[in-house]
Amino acid sequence: MNDMNFFQFMASRSDELIRLTIQHIQITGLAVLLAVMLGVPVGIFISKNRSLRSPILGLANVFQTIPSLALFGLIIPLLGTGYVPSVFVLFLYALLPIIKNTFIGINSVEESIIDAGRGMGMTTNQILTKVEMPLALPVIMGGIRISTVINIGTATIAALIGAGGLGEMIFKGISMASDNMVLAGAVPTALLAIFMDKVLGMVETKLTPIGITSQKDKAN
Amino acid sequence: MIELVNISKSYDGKINVIEKLNLKINKGEIVVLIGESGCGKTTTLRMINRLNEPTGGTIMIDGQDYKKMSKIELRRQLGYVIQKVGLMPHLTVGKNIEMIPELKGWDKEKRKERAYELLTTVDLPPEDYYDRYPHELSGGQQQRVGVARALAVNPDIILMDEPFSALDPVTREQLQKELLRLQDELGKTIVFVTHDMDEALKIGDRIAVMKDGKIIQYDTPEEILKNPADDFVEYFVGKDRLWKSPEMLRASDIMHKSLITVGQRRTPAQVIEVMKEKDLETLFIVEKETSKPQPPIGYITRESLREQGSNESKMSDICNREFETVQHDSKMTDVLKIMDNKLVRSLPVLDDNGNLIGMITRASILNLITKAVVNEEENQ
Ligand SMILES: Nc1ncnc2c1ncn2[C@@H]1O[C@H](COP(=O)(O)OP(=O)(O)O)[C@@H](O)[C@H]1O
Ligand SMILES: [Mg+2]
Repeated sequence: MNDMNFFQFMASRSDELIRLTIQHIQITGLAVLLAVMLGVPVGIFISKNRSLRSPILGLANVFQTIPSLALFGLIIPLLGTGYVPSVFVLFLYALLPIIKNTFIGINSVEESIIDAGRGMGMTTNQILTKVEMPLALPVIMGGIRISTVINIGTATIAALIGAGGLGEMIFKGISMASDNMVLAGAVPTALLAIFMDKVLGMVETKLTPIGITSQKDKAN
Repeated sequence: MIELVNISKSYDGKINVIEKLNLKINKGEIVVLIGESGCGKTTTLRMINRLNEPTGGTIMIDGQDYKKMSKIELRRQLGYVIQKVGLMPHLTVGKNIEMIPELKGWDKEKRKERAYELLTTVDLPPEDYYDRYPHELSGGQQQRVGVARALAVNPDIILMDEPFSALDPVTREQLQKELLRLQDELGKTIVFVTHDMDEALKIGDRIAVMKDGKIIQYDTPEEILKNPADDFVEYFVGKDRLWKSPEMLRASDIMHKSLITVGQRRTPAQVIEVMKEKDLETLFIVEKETSKPQPPIGYITRESLREQGSNESKMSDICNREFETVQHDSKMTDVLKIMDNKLVRSLPVLDDNGNLIGMITRASILNLITKAVVNEEENQ
C-alpha cells in the first residue's frame, strides 16, 4: 500500500472520500446556515440598538478567540459527541463574521440616503428592506464567505468528536503515519475551501446592485 | 398654509435650540429660512415633517393640527429635498422617483408615466435618464432627480434644506431659476433653507432671518434690504447689498427728499436768486409755496431765464410744462433708462396722488454709487 502514489491512493478510496466530503459539506453548510439565520437578524438588531452593540459583538468575539480544539473539548461535557455538538461549535465560529458584517454593511449606508427615505415617508421596515438590506447585501455575503471558508478548515477538527467529514481521513492518516491518507483528507478540504470561496465570491458579485458595482468600477 | 405656533425644541432637555418660534407660511409662497450655521434652520424645517419632534408648541397645516395624521402620511404629503440629495444608489433614476408611488401601490404604467412626466419637468429627457444610475449623473442632475422625486406624489408643500448649496455657482443659478419657473407652473408652497443671502433674495417671496433659534425679521426681500429690523439683520444682509440688487431699488430710495420748488407767481428775478443761492440749474414750479405735497406744474432752467431777461412775467406763464415724471415705486432700472434716453437732468418723483415728493438728479445717483463704493471699502 505504501508503494501506491497519492493519486492511486485517492482512487482506491474514492467511495469513502466522496462520503466524507459530502459529510463535510453537510456539517459546515448546516452550521453556516444556522449562523446566517441568527447572525443576520442579530447584526441588524445591533445596527439599530447602540447599547447592546458592544456586549453582543464582544460575546461573538469570545467564541472566535477560543482555540477550536479547546471549544470542541469544552462542548463534550455539555452536548456529548457526534454530529450535533460539532455543528453547534462550527455555528458559534461562523457567527461573528456574519453578525459583524451585517452590522457594518447596514451601518455604512450613507446617513443622507436614510434621511431622504424617512423624509419622503418610508417606514422603518421599508427602509430596511428596500434600502439598507440591498445596500448591505454584498458586505453580508462577504461575512458568509469568510465564515464558510474558515468553517471548512475548522470542520476537520470536528472529526475528533465523531462528526465525520474529511478530518476523519486526516486523523486516521496521522495515527497510521500514512502521508497519503493525511493528504487525501487535507487536499480535498483545501480544494473545497478554495472552491466555495470562488463560488460565494461570484454570488457576492451577483448580489451587488448594478448601481454600486459600476460605482466601484469607476473608483478603480 | 403652514403655521408654526410657539414652537420650541430642545435636543438635550436643557437648552432650547428653538425658542417659541412663530411662523406663518401662506399657500403658494416660497419662504426662505436664513441665518448663520447652527441657528436652527434645519431643526425648524425638520419639525414640519416630524423628522424632529417639537418639545413645545404646535404646527397647523391647512388649519389642522399636523399630529392628526400619522408621520408617514404627513411626510408623503410634504416633498423633502436635502443638500446631499440622498438618492438610492442601487436604484435607477426612474425607480428612485417611483419609490413612494410604488409604496402607495400605484400600478407600473402609472408610475412610469409619472416618472417620465417629472423628468421632463426638471429638464432631464426621460429617454436618456430613466434607466441611468445616480452615480452616472452630475451633482446638478442628481439634485434635479431629487426635486423630481419630491414631486412624485404631487405634494402641495415642499421642504428644501440647502438643496443647491453643494453645487457650483453656475449650476446653482440654473436650478434657482428653474425652481422659480416650477413654482410659477405648479404653485407649490415651498419652505427653503439657505445660508446664502443672494439665494434668499433671488427666490424668496418672504424671508425669515433667524438667529439663536428665533426669527428676527420676517418680511419681503425688499423690506429686509431697505428696513433691516436690527444691526444683526443689517450686518447679515450686508450694507452694500441694496446696491448689488439694483432691481430692488425704487425711485423713492434714490431721490433727494429735501425738495426745492418755487410758486407759480414768482418772477424771473426772484427765481434766479433762488437758483444762485442753492446752486441749481433747474427748478420745478408748484402752485403755492407750502410744505404740503402738490403736483408739479412745470419747470424752468437758469438758461431760459437768462434769455428772458428781467421782466414781470410769472412762472406760470413761462415755465416749461412738458416733462417726464416717475412714480415713487418705479424701478431704478426704469429711472435710469428715462434719464439716459431723454437726457433729463431732473426727474420729479410722484406719490400715488400725483404729488411731487422728491427729485432724482444725476447728483443723487452719483451719491448712491459713492455710498456703495465707500461701504465696499469699509467691508474689506
Ligand atoms: N440631532 C441633534 N442633536 C443635538 N443637537 C443638535 C442636533 N441637531 C442640531 N443640533 C443643534 O441644534 C442647533 C441648531 O442646529 P441646526 O438646526 O442644524 O442649525 P442650522 O441648520 O441652522 O445650521 C445647533 O446648535 C446644533 O448643534
Ligand atoms: Mg442646516
